[in-house]
Amino acid sequence: MTESVVADYNLEIYGEPCPYPAVATLEAMASLKPGEVLEVLTDCSQSINNIPSDARNHGYEVLDISQQGVMLRFLIRR
Amino acid sequence: MWLTFKNKFFIQFWSPFAAVIAAGILSTYFFGLTGSLWAVTGEFTRWGGHIMQWFGAEPETWQYFKIIGLEGTPLDRVGGVMIIGMFGGCLAAVLWANNMKLRMPSSKKRIGQALIGGMIAGFGARLAMGCNLAAFFTGIPQFTLHAWLFAFAAAAGTYIGAKITLLPFFRSSATVKPGGLKKVIKPNPNQVQNRFRLGWVVFAAIVAGSFYIMSSSTKLGFAMLMGIVFGLLIERAQICFTSAFRDMWITGRTHMAKAIILGMAVSVIGIYSYVQLGMTPKTLWAGPNALIGGLLFGIGIVIAGGCETGWMYRALEGQIHFWWVGIGNIIGATILAYYWDVFSAPLATNWDKVNLLDVFGPLGGLGVTYLLLALSFGLILLWEKHFFKKQRSLKNAKLSPVVSQPDVVIAMAKTL
Repeated sequence: MTESVVADYNLEIYGEPCPYPAVATLEAMASLKPGEVLEVLTDCSQSINNIPSDARNHGYEVLDISQQGVMLRFLIRR
Repeated sequence: MWLTFKNKFFIQFWSPFAAVIAAGILSTYFFGLTGSLWAVTGEFTRWGGHIMQWFGAEPETWQYFKIIGLEGTPLDRVGGVMIIGMFGGCLAAVLWANNMKLRMPSSKKRIGQALIGGMIAGFGARLAMGCNLAAFFTGIPQFTLHAWLFAFAAAAGTYIGAKITLLPFFRSSATVKPGGLKKVIKPNPNQVQNRFRLGWVVFAAIVAGSFYIMSSSTKLGFAMLMGIVFGLLIERAQICFTSAFRDMWITGRTHMAKAIILGMAVSVIGIYSYVQLGMTPKTLWAGPNALIGGLLFGIGIVIAGGCETGWMYRALEGQIHFWWVGIGNIIGATILAYYWDVFSAPLATNWDKVNLLDVFGPLGGLGVTYLLLALSFGLILLWEKHFFKKQRSLKNAKLSPVVSQPDVVIAMAKTL
């Protein structure tokens, strides 16, 4: 299902420790219009525990979480 | 079948909630089998001491090392073999999942943060005689009052730390760009396969090492084997005590904090039973050192981005940032050990070692501990409610919930 979703914006965060990836994601989400989708790519493993649940807690919809080696990719809809 | 299993257990991350509770149970057995707490900073401090010895210093004459002991090598100590087991377990886990890549810090600022935060945390932890483990996660189940002092001070410290890390100066420079991303490059399947096998080699070697050690000392062997499991748990589930505190303040996430409270609740009754069978709980001075140390530790771990347990697995994943945190920790702890004599009496050793089981009697102490845990859980729930209520009112006031100027960023990205 996620193949068909095309993100409107993307955010790449590499080499950054927590909490920066999660904070940057939430800030980015707040700037989207309702219905728009943000794609987050990060190599911060810890993000697996914070980006999806933070996004849900803040009322966004997590469309997809995928893991490819060290890379984590999240698709989040405002 | 095997592929699904492999993917689920060796590649995908585990649920941190279950893993923290498992760590709580395991740390209880660890106490029963080795008589020691699951802890890491004391041993890291000893490593600092050994390094000093190589350079000709005599840290074994320092008062602090007389307290924590500096005999033998890490291989002769429960903490030493446990940490070696943990590193082995982390490394195996990282290799299985192909989660190893050198990740350079994004700026020099971060290196400074890692080193200074690590030093503050290392200093604070040793002042309080324990980190998130011995003075919190495995300390509270020992009924020692100093762990409670440490925990609340550390919570306050992480609040201050969170404010510092979110200063504009430290912000990430990553910006939102329009459009979806190109495909994520799949890792080379040969590399994935090789690393998976190498993971098993590491795992087999460290388990064999544990059995070898067990042949001369059952206690040390168990410590090392359990260290391996701790290592697997913290890496596979990305257990992060720092985030448990910090993210309550920053994003309102309380998942990890709740898991830790439950993990301790499970451990408390186990430790209680060991104490009733005649083991002595590890109690430390309930002095200002626990409060000051906890506060410094809380500030330090948030600035650094991880605590003593946190940097271990991240360093092995190749996150260079956390190599600096580890170095900072050991430096901070060694500085504390050096200056210990100056302030140990007024801050720590003149104060009583208070154990709740002595103060309130066995049942009373158990009850008070559970009451305090329940109270902490309640406070977390209240904070969560308060946080998201504030978020909503901010949103309704048409302000962006988390600070910064994202609209400008988007506008800029669009014009590019």
